[in-house]
Formats: sequence, structure tokens, C-alpha cells
Amino acid sequence: MNRLRLFAAVLAAGLLAAACGQGPGSSTDSYPSDQIRLIVPYTAGGPTDIAARALGRYVEGRLGQTVVVENKPGGSGAATYQELIASEPDGYTLSMTALPTAVLNYLVNDVGYTRADLAPVGVATQVPSALVVSSTSPYTDLEALFADARANPQKVTVGTPGATNTHAAETRRITRLYRVPLTVLPFNGNSEVQTALLGGNTTAGFVNVSQDMLPAIESGSLRVLAVGTAERLDYLDAPTFAEQGYPELTQSTTTFGVIAPAGTPDAVISRLEETMRSASTDPEVVAALDARYVPEQFIGSAELGRIMAGTEETFRDVANG
Amino acid sequence: MGLLDGVSQGFAVALDPVNLLYVFLGVLIGTVIGVLPGLGPTATIALLLPLTYEIEPATAVILLAGIYYGSMYGGTITSVLLRLPGEAASVVTTFDGYQMAKQGRAGPALGIAAIGSFIGGTLAVVGLTLLAPSLASLAVSFGPPEYVALTVLGILLVTYLGTGSALKSLSMAALGLLLSTVGQDPITGTTRFTFGEVSLFDGLDFVAVAMGLFGVGEILHNLEKTDKVQAVTQKIKNIWPSRKDFRDSTGAIGRGSVLGFVIGVLPGGGGVVSSLASYAMEKRRAKDPTRFGKGAIEGVAGPETANNASSTSAFVPLLTLGIPANVVLALIFGALLVQGITPGPQLIEQHPDVFWGVIASMYIGNLMLLALNLPLVGVFVQMLRVRAGILAAFALLVTMAGVFSINNDAFDMWVVLGFGVLGWLMKKTGFEPGPLVLAFVLGPILERAFRQSMLLSGGSLDIFVIRPLSGGIFLLMAVIVVVSVLTARRRRRVFGRVDAEAVRTADLAADLASAGRGSSVLGSSGLDSSGVGTRDHDTDPRRPNSGES
Repeated sequence: MNRLRLFAAVLAAGLLAAACGQGPGSSTDSYPSDQIRLIVPYTAGGPTDIAARALGRYVEGRLGQTVVVENKPGGSGAATYQELIASEPDGYTLSMTALPTAVLNYLVNDVGYTRADLAPVGVATQVPSALVVSSTSPYTDLEALFADARANPQKVTVGTPGATNTHAAETRRITRLYRVPLTVLPFNGNSEVQTALLGGNTTAGFVNVSQDMLPAIESGSLRVLAVGTAERLDYLDAPTFAEQGYPELTQSTTTFGVIAPAGTPDAVISRLEETMRSASTDPEVVAALDARYVPEQFIGSAELGRIMAGTEETFRDVANG
Repeated sequence: MGLLDGVSQGFAVALDPVNLLYVFLGVLIGTVIGVLPGLGPTATIALLLPLTYEIEPATAVILLAGIYYGSMYGGTITSVLLRLPGEAASVVTTFDGYQMAKQGRAGPALGIAAIGSFIGGTLAVVGLTLLAPSLASLAVSFGPPEYVALTVLGILLVTYLGTGSALKSLSMAALGLLLSTVGQDPITGTTRFTFGEVSLFDGLDFVAVAMGLFGVGEILHNLEKTDKVQAVTQKIKNIWPSRKDFRDSTGAIGRGSVLGFVIGVLPGGGGVVSSLASYAMEKRRAKDPTRFGKGAIEGVAGPETANNASSTSAFVPLLTLGIPANVVLALIFGALLVQGITPGPQLIEQHPDVFWGVIASMYIGNLMLLALNLPLVGVFVQMLRVRAGILAAFALLVTMAGVFSINNDAFDMWVVLGFGVLGWLMKKTGFEPGPLVLAFVLGPILERAFRQSMLLSGGSLDIFVIRPLSGGIFLLMAVIVVVSVLTARRRRRVFGRVDAEAVRTADLAADLASAGRGSSVLGSSGLDSSGVGTRDHDTDPRRPNSGES
């Protein structure tokens, strides 16, 4: 009797294991045959979450499977990436990512993953950055600010929305590459930098020109000295760093994309990549992502991989201040 | 945006049917938990916090604010009828309120408390409406040194105004500051005390810590108690006070409104501090102070007005500076952070719907409370029949599910349980969680601002003294410290009596009055400063080091 029970139990366990093996992921032709989990490394309601939900809805319509968006904030995304790489690389667990933060994370701390553990899928949006001052500031152009900084080291502070993000790292690159003494003053988010600028408590600010900053720029209470993209932006009337003689300063753009665990089959990745490519021209998705931030040319898996590698190369030396 | 535009926009938000529903829910829950002894506004808000993540930010704060000032009304009911303060701020009401009930005047006592609360609350909202926008525009110029000064002032006041031993309060504040250093360094980004655990990179989650210390700690503590609450059988009549009652209370209500408003704005103020101060003031002004403690209606009207006014004005520093004045406001601060909104000087510009919507909802909420409290007192009293055990199990379940939902991280559930046990032990040993939690919230603000100041000044401490505002605040702190040292002997004597047992004795009133004269800076001081229902009906004996030497 006991033996029979044991046999039944083993049989049941075996069947279960077999069933799981047969389950999602075993055949890439039929992908996706089950619901897809999309983890968001930031809190619900933020820009990354909104992007994820817009993409998720599109993928549901396109691939006919439910997309479950799950927020797992913590450790600047590290909590999400750890969860991602611990899951099966079968295309049923994906995550949103923000660069260069995802790369800076493992350059600064031991967070249990590196670039090699992640498989890029495609880019959703790119949000540029800009060096701004208050409209009451005496500095009307970049040269005036930098000249004063060179003449008076210690004087010019640059407020950044965080200590480990792209803006702090890029500001340190300015100091290192062009010998402009700038003091990085890390705040907690764009909004605090903006307050400090308006209150005259920081000389300048290096911030994302995301939706929360644009109103202050458009209303004229903040003045843009330089934008951190290779080309001028059509929605911001300001010169780039490059055209003012600082060609290296193009690394401050934040790239939001989708990644999978390393080892996910190529066929699955390309299926997802194609879906994201068509999403990038879908009017509803573009509106949800904000057309200003959707790249004109879709950036796919290979190119996102190059961005990640390039980010690592750029920031390896400055990540630790 | 002008004041009128703001107010009208606020009413547009507050009168939205969904928000109206949430105001009502908030004040109703507030009244209910005010009635139930043990479950104060802090524990309730801590427990309900995760439920607010899915609703709009303005709606969330409208709900939580409603609970806070609603509990100030509800706490009165049991103070008067049972001599059992439903939450800490109503302790004072037991002095004369219960005496009035014994003389068959429970109705007028409850009536004048509700009316006083309404007037105090409404006047405080008017003050908030007028004061907050100009303070917010002033606060834009506050830099890191000013934030250092303000947060240090907050921590100093919360320990100074705290219960019993200042040493215990200080040690809890220090523990809170230490705990707040866990996680990524705000300036260099390196990790501290994380032991490689990614869940700790952002520090201990504030909501989990607060839910543990207040929510779970409170639940565990209540489960230990065996004393049963007797439901009231007495019929309450004549709720509308007589003309003479009104005449006697008008002055007390007026003074209570102003006093409550001023104390509520101060960091560490609000709640019980304001009601004690008002009681002391009324007694001092009275022609015949011996009437107090024997059913003087001013002794009910003044403090009840003051605690309501202070619970509203406590929103001023949060909405304009991003600094929570007490623990309840710290929780609301947390609720906004989770919603992706950092309260601060820019709140009024960036989220006018939240700023004005919350203020407008307070006008409505106070009106609802008046309507709820006058005719429905009897119904609320019946709630005392709910068994504590049932309530506790349900609350614990909601807590654990709720805390998981913040970060979808099981780690936070352990944090809640750990701090729950700590909170329970602290209660047993007479340590207040208030200073710990407030220091834990203010710690990161203080650290970042301090190190930013050092970056700005190139490492010189002069920056705190040279800037007029931060210099002024530090001067004020020096005065507070000197005064408190000079009056330490008297304070010790007062604190020795102000514990839960002594609170029920009428001779306390004399001591309170002398405390009111003694400490020139903040009027009287005494019990738990944070409006927290921690001392509600503790029956622990006098504390060992309250020093009746």
C-alpha cells in the first residue's frame, strides 16, 4: 500500500515535470503560447511603467497572449534584473530597462548581474539630457559657465537627479575630459534639482528633459545651455555640447528598452524585436510613449546591445567618482 | 495662480464624486478608530497606506487626512463617556469631559467638543489656505543648510516634547537616524550596511518600518491586554449645548483654535501637545480654576478645538517644505512618495490638484464630521463591542498583504514583522516609537542636505551660521536647549506625574498649568508629542526613571 502510494506520487511528480517541460518555451515556433511577464524596475505610475503598459497592450493585441506587467522597484533596477536572470530564458519573462543606470549599477556595486546576463530586445524611448540654469542666472551660454568654473574652482555646482545616474557620471566626464572643475551636487530626482535651481542653491543642473522638466523650460524659468545629444532636438531651442566644442559629451541620454535573460532563443528575441518595431509606428503606442522620445529609426536588439557595450566602455572609469 | 483660483480648483477636485466618497470614508474611518481605544490614527494610516497606491494621489491624501482629523473627533466620545481616550490627543478631555458625563451632562460635553472641533478645524484650514502658498514661495529659496537646520529642529523638538525620559527619546531618535543610513550613500552611491542584499540598497522601506512599529507593535500590545471595555448604557441627551455653555466656551474655542494652529505647525507639535497646552491655558485664565477637573465645559471645548486645529495646521510644513511635522504626516509623506510625488516647495506648482484638493477637502470633511458626530454619537459607541481579537487578526492580514504590494518584495514582510516585535518590546519598556520613526524619515533629508552643504561650502561648517535663516534656526535651538536645561528640574517633576496613570487624576491639571508657565518656548509639554495613539490606555506603572526625586 505504501509502495503504491509512493509509486503514485512519483508518477504524479514525473507527469508534472513532463508537463512543465512541454509547457511554454519548449518550442520557439509556437511562441508565445502562454502569458508573458514584463517586470518594471520602477514604481507603478512612473514613465517606465506607463511605457511598459502601453507596449504590453500592443503585444497582447499582436501576439494574442496576456502580458502581465509587474512592478519590482529597488536598487535602481537591480531587484528586477536579479529576478529576470533567475527566470527561465524562454521569452516568458522580460523586463524593462533604463540605460545607463542598468550598466552603472554593476560598475559601482556588486549587484549579482552584468551585461553578459542580459539579452537586449529593443528600445522603446530615448530621453535626452540638458545642462540648465535658472533664467535669473548670469550665465547665458555654456562657455561663460565653464570659463567661470575654470577661473574659480569650487564655485560651480551642478545639481543632478541622483548620485549614480548618467548625469552625475557625465558631469564628472566633463571635469575629466575637458578640465572644467565642477562640483556634482546629487539631489533626489528632477524636481529637487529644479527647486534648487529656482532658489539659487545650485549654479547649474544636469537633468533629463523628461515630461516633468519641459514645462519649466518652455515657460522660460529654466535656460538650457546645452543638450547632450549628437544632433539638435526639434522640440528644444538649444545648441548641443558637440557644436560648442565638446564632441565627447553625447552619453547622457537615457535609453528605455526591453531585455530578456541571456540564453533566450534567437527566434524568440527576433519575434519580440519585430513586434516592438511595429509598435514603434503604432499611433496609440507612440502617443502613450510621447512622440518626442520615440526614436525616428527603430533601435533593435543588436543596436541596443552596442549601446550597452558602449555605455560600459564610457563610464567604466568615472563610475566610482 | 491666485488664491481664489487655487481654492476654486481645490473645490473642483474635492467635490468630484469619487473624492467626496473618500473624504466621507476618511472621516468615518477616523471617527471609528478614534472611538476604538488602542487603534490610533498612526496605526490606522500605517495599515491603510498600501491600499492608497492604486488611487489618485490627491484622493489618497484626502482619505488619509480625513482619517487623521476625523480621529480627533472620535477620540472625544470615549474620553467623555468612558474616561478612556480613544487616541492620545483626547487624554485631556477625560479630565472634565468624564466629570460632565457623571453629572448627566455627557450630551453638552460631546456637543461642544464637536462644535469646537469644527470651528478649530475650519479656522485652521482657513489659516492653511492663507499661509501655505506664501510659505511655499518663500521655501523655494531654502537650500541645503536650511533643510539641515529644519530637520535638526524637528528631531530636537520631537525628543524635547516627547514623553517621560528625554534620554529614551533621544536614544530612539539616534536609532532612527542610524537605521536611515542603511542603503546607498546619497552622494557617492556606494552601498552601506546592505550585506549584499539588493532589497536593502534603497534602505529599509519606511512604510514597512512604520507599519511594523505602529501597526503590528500596537496589535501585539493590545492582544496582551485583558481588560474589557464596557459598553455604555447611559442615554445621551441634550447634545446641543445650552446658551450658557456656549457663552462659557466661546473664548476657549477661539484661543484653542489659535494655539492649536501654532503648535501644529511646529515640528513635533500637534496632537496631545496642543490639547495639553490649551487645557493649561484655560485653567490659568479661569476666574475660578478649582472648577477644572470637576466638569468645566471650557476644559473640554478648548483642548478639543486645539487638537483639531493642530491636526490641520500640521499639513503646513509638509505641503510647503516637504518636511513632516509629526509621525502621521510622515506617513502621508510616504504615501505621496510612493505615488511619485515629492512634497516640497514646488508641490503647489507641479501638483496643484493635490495641494488645493486636499485643503478644500478639509472644509468638506469638517462639515461632514459635524453632521456625523452630533446625531450619531450613540451609534459609534456601539462599536466598542467589536472584539479586539477579531480586529487584530484582520489588521495583521491587511498589513502583510499591503506591505508586500509596495515593492512586490517578500523581504519587506520580514521587515514589518521584525519592527513589529521591536515596537511591542519598546512599548513594554516605555520607549516611544515616535522619535524613531520621525528621525528615520528626516534622517535621509538631513544627511543629503548636510553633505550637500559641505559640497557647497567646500567643507566649512560656517555655512550653517552665515546664512541668516539656518543661523536663526540654530540660534532658536540653542535657546530651546538652554531653557530646557534651566527648567529641567521642574520638567522632571512634571514628567514624573504625566504618565498614563497620573493623567487620570485631576491634580495633574495643576502640574500642567505650571508646565505651561515654565517652558516659555512651547507652552506646556507632556505626553506623546506625535498625535500617536501609543499611550492611550497604557496601564503600566510609573516609569522607573521619570525621576520623582
